[in-house]
Amino acid sequence: MTEMKTDTTETTAVSLKLAELFRRLRPDPQDLVLYSAFIILIIAFSLLSPVFFSATNFQNIGRQTAMVSIMAVGMTFVIVSGQIDLSVGSIVALSSMVAAMAMRDVGGGWVTGALVALSVGALTGFVNGALTNWLKIPSFLVTLGTLGVARGIALLLTDTRPVIVNEPRYQRLFGDGHFFGIPAPIFWTIIIVVVGIMWLQRTVFGRKVYATGGNAEAARFSGIAVNKVRIIALTLSGLTAGMAGMIFSARAHAARPVIGEGMELDVIAAVILGGTSLFGGKGTIVGAFIGSLIIGVLNNGLNLTGVPSAAQLALKGVLIIGAVAFGRR
Amino acid sequence: MKIKKIGSGWGIVRLVLLATVFALGAAACSSGDPINAPRVESDSAPAQESDSAPAQESAAPVLGIDAVVPAAGLGPDGVIGQGPNGESAASLADLALTDDEIQQAKDGGFEVGIVMHVQNLDWSKLQINGITATLAEFGIEVVAVTDAGFLVEEQIADIEDMIQIAPDAVISIPVDDTATAPAYKQIAEAGIKLVFMDNVPRGLEYPTGYQSMISADSQGNGAIAAEVLAEYVPDGGKIGIIEFGIDFFVTNERVIGVENWLGANRSDINVLKADFLHPDDALATAENFLTKNPDLDGLFVVWDAPAMDAVAAARTLGMEIPITTIDLGLEVALNMAQGGLIKGLGAQRPYDQGVAEAYAVANSLLGKETPAWVGVLSLPVTPDNVMEAYREVFKQDPPQELRDACAANAGCTD
Repeated sequence: MTEMKTDTTETTAVSLKLAELFRRLRPDPQDLVLYSAFIILIIAFSLLSPVFFSATNFQNIGRQTAMVSIMAVGMTFVIVSGQIDLSVGSIVALSSMVAAMAMRDVGGGWVTGALVALSVGALTGFVNGALTNWLKIPSFLVTLGTLGVARGIALLLTDTRPVIVNEPRYQRLFGDGHFFGIPAPIFWTIIIVVVGIMWLQRTVFGRKVYATGGNAEAARFSGIAVNKVRIIALTLSGLTAGMAGMIFSARAHAARPVIGEGMELDVIAAVILGGTSLFGGKGTIVGAFIGSLIIGVLNNGLNLTGVPSAAQLALKGVLIIGAVAFGRR
Repeated sequence: MKIKKIGSGWGIVRLVLLATVFALGAAACSSGDPINAPRVESDSAPAQESDSAPAQESAAPVLGIDAVVPAAGLGPDGVIGQGPNGESAASLADLALTDDEIQQAKDGGFEVGIVMHVQNLDWSKLQINGITATLAEFGIEVVAVTDAGFLVEEQIADIEDMIQIAPDAVISIPVDDTATAPAYKQIAEAGIKLVFMDNVPRGLEYPTGYQSMISADSQGNGAIAAEVLAEYVPDGGKIGIIEFGIDFFVTNERVIGVENWLGANRSDINVLKADFLHPDDALATAENFLTKNPDLDGLFVVWDAPAMDAVAAARTLGMEIPITTIDLGLEVALNMAQGGLIKGLGAQRPYDQGVAEAYAVANSLLGKETPAWVGVLSLPVTPDNVMEAYREVFKQDPPQELRDACAANAGCTD
C-alpha cells in the first residue's frame, strides 16, 4: 500500500509538472497569431519563390535582420518599462563612427573597436535615461533630441565622410566570419536575444522592469527604484544600438555617418508586432525577435518574388497593422 | 512579494562585463579558428594576385575578375546626355568671359546667394567651393548659403528668405521638382537671376524663369560604368542593375546611360533589375538579388554607397562579381585601390560644376545670353587612375589609407 501511495504521489507530482509545463507552453492568442503569421509567410514565400526555402536564404534573412533584432532586445526593455527610444538609429551611426575612428587612430584592433562602440552606445543611452529621469522630460522628447544630437555629431566627426574599417579580425568577428558554422551577425543576435530573455524574464530586475511599466506608482510604493530601472533600460537600448553599429561596420568594412536613419521605426515596429504594449508593462523579447524576423521574411520574400519596392512598403504596412489587430482579439 | 534591490550601476557594469566576456570568448575561439575566413578575400585585404592572368578566356576577350581596365580611352568624347527639356549640351568654353567683362563684373558689385538641398555632403561642399572661389575672381560676393536638410518646406522658406536678402542672383539645387516650383517662380518675379544645379523644377521656362542649368553628364557616367562592366561579361552574359526606386532625374539618367551604351555596343548582354527606396535597404536588396540570380556576370549599382553594400553582399555570399557604379567616394576609391570588386565608375566633377555655375551666373549678371543647359564632362575612373581621379575630383591629396592601399596593389597606379 505504501508503495502504491508513493507511486500515486509521484504520478501526481509528474502530472502537476506536466500541467505546469503545458500552462507555460500555451501561448496567449496574440503569440499564436504571431507564430502563425510567421509560419504562413514562410510557407507562402516557399511556394512563390524557388530560392526562398534554402539554408543560404535563411542565413540572408538572419543577417539582414540582425541589427533590428539586436536593437529590439534593448527596445523591449525600454518599452516594457513604459518608455520609448527614438535615438537608436543615430546611436548606430555615432557608435560605429567613433569605434572606426578609434581603431584607425588609436590602434588596438577589434578590442578597441568593440569596447568603444559598446561604451559610446551605452553612454548615449545612459544620457537618455539620466535626462529623462533627472529633468523629468518624457523619454519621447529626450530621445527625439538625442536622435538629432547623435546624428549631428556622427556627421560632424568626419565632415560626413565614411571611415574605413581596416581590421580583418573585427570584420570577421562581427560581420563576415562564422562561429561554429553560424554567420557572425546571426550568432551575436542569438547570444543577445538569449541574454535578453534570461534577464527580462528570469531575474528580479526583469520583474522590476515589468512593474515599472505596468504601474510606476505601485512599483515605487513596493520599493522599486523606478528611476534606476528606467535609466538601465535606456542604457541597454543604447548598448544594443552600439552592438548593431558594430555588426554594420564589420559587414560593410566601413562606418558611415548616415547609416540607420529611420531604423528606430523598424525596431519599434518589431517590438510592437511581437506583442509588446506601447504603454508598457507587457511584452516579451521572443516576441520582438519573431517580430523582427517577420519583417525580415517579408522584405526578403517580397524581394525574391520580384515585388517592386514601393508596393513592398505598402504591403508591409498592411500586414503589420493586420497582425497587430488580429493579435489583440 | 519582496523584491531584492539591485543597484543600477552594478547592472550596467554587469552587462558591460558580460559583453566583454563574450567578446573575449569569441577572440579565444578565433585562435582555434572556428571562425571561418570569409570565402572572398579579394576586396577586404590588399589583393596580392591582382596582376595574375585573367581567370577565363572565352571566344570574346573577357577580362578576369582581377584584371584592370585602362582608364585612357574610356567614356564618351563629349557630353552625351540631354537637358531636362531635351536641350543639347553647352560647355564651359561657351561661358568664357573676356578681361573687359571680368572688369565689368568687378565694377558691378554683385551679390549671389546659394540655396542648397543639403550642405553636409562632399558633393555640396565641392560645389560651393567651386562657386565661391570662381565668383571671387570676378569680384562677386556670396552673401548667403542655405541648407534645407532635404526638406521641401524648409527649402521654400529658404527661398523666401533669400528673396528678402535680395542678392543679384541665386544658384540653387531644388529638393524636389514640383513642390518648390512656385517658390522658385518668385525669384524671377523679384528680378533676381537664377541658375540651377542638376535639376529644373516643373513649369519654369528658360530664359524667363531661370537663366541656366548646369549638371553632370549622368548618361555619360552611365556609359562609362557600362563600358567597364562589359569588359568582364562574356558574350550573351547577364548583368544586374540595382537602381533607386524613386523617380529621380539624375539616377534615371544614369540607368538610361547604361542601357543605351549596352544597346548600342553589347546588345548580347541580358539585363535584370532590382531597386531600393532607402539607402539603408541597399545591402539587403543586393543580397536578395544575388541570391535569386547567382549566375550574374556583373552588377551596376546606381551610386557609390549602395555599390559598397553590393560588395558586402557579394562577399557574404562568396561571389566574385565585377561591380561598377557612379560617383567617386572614399569607400569605392579604396576598394578599387585594393583591387576589390569595384572595377570602375564614372565620376562627377562637383568642383568643376561649381566653376561652370559661377561662370553662368556672371554671364547672366552681365546681361549676356546663357545656354539653357551646360553639361560637365564625366570622368572615367578605374584602379588604373583612381589616385589621379581622386585629386581631380576632390582638389586635394588622397588620404593616407588610400595611398597605402594603392602602394600595396600592383593593379593601382599612383
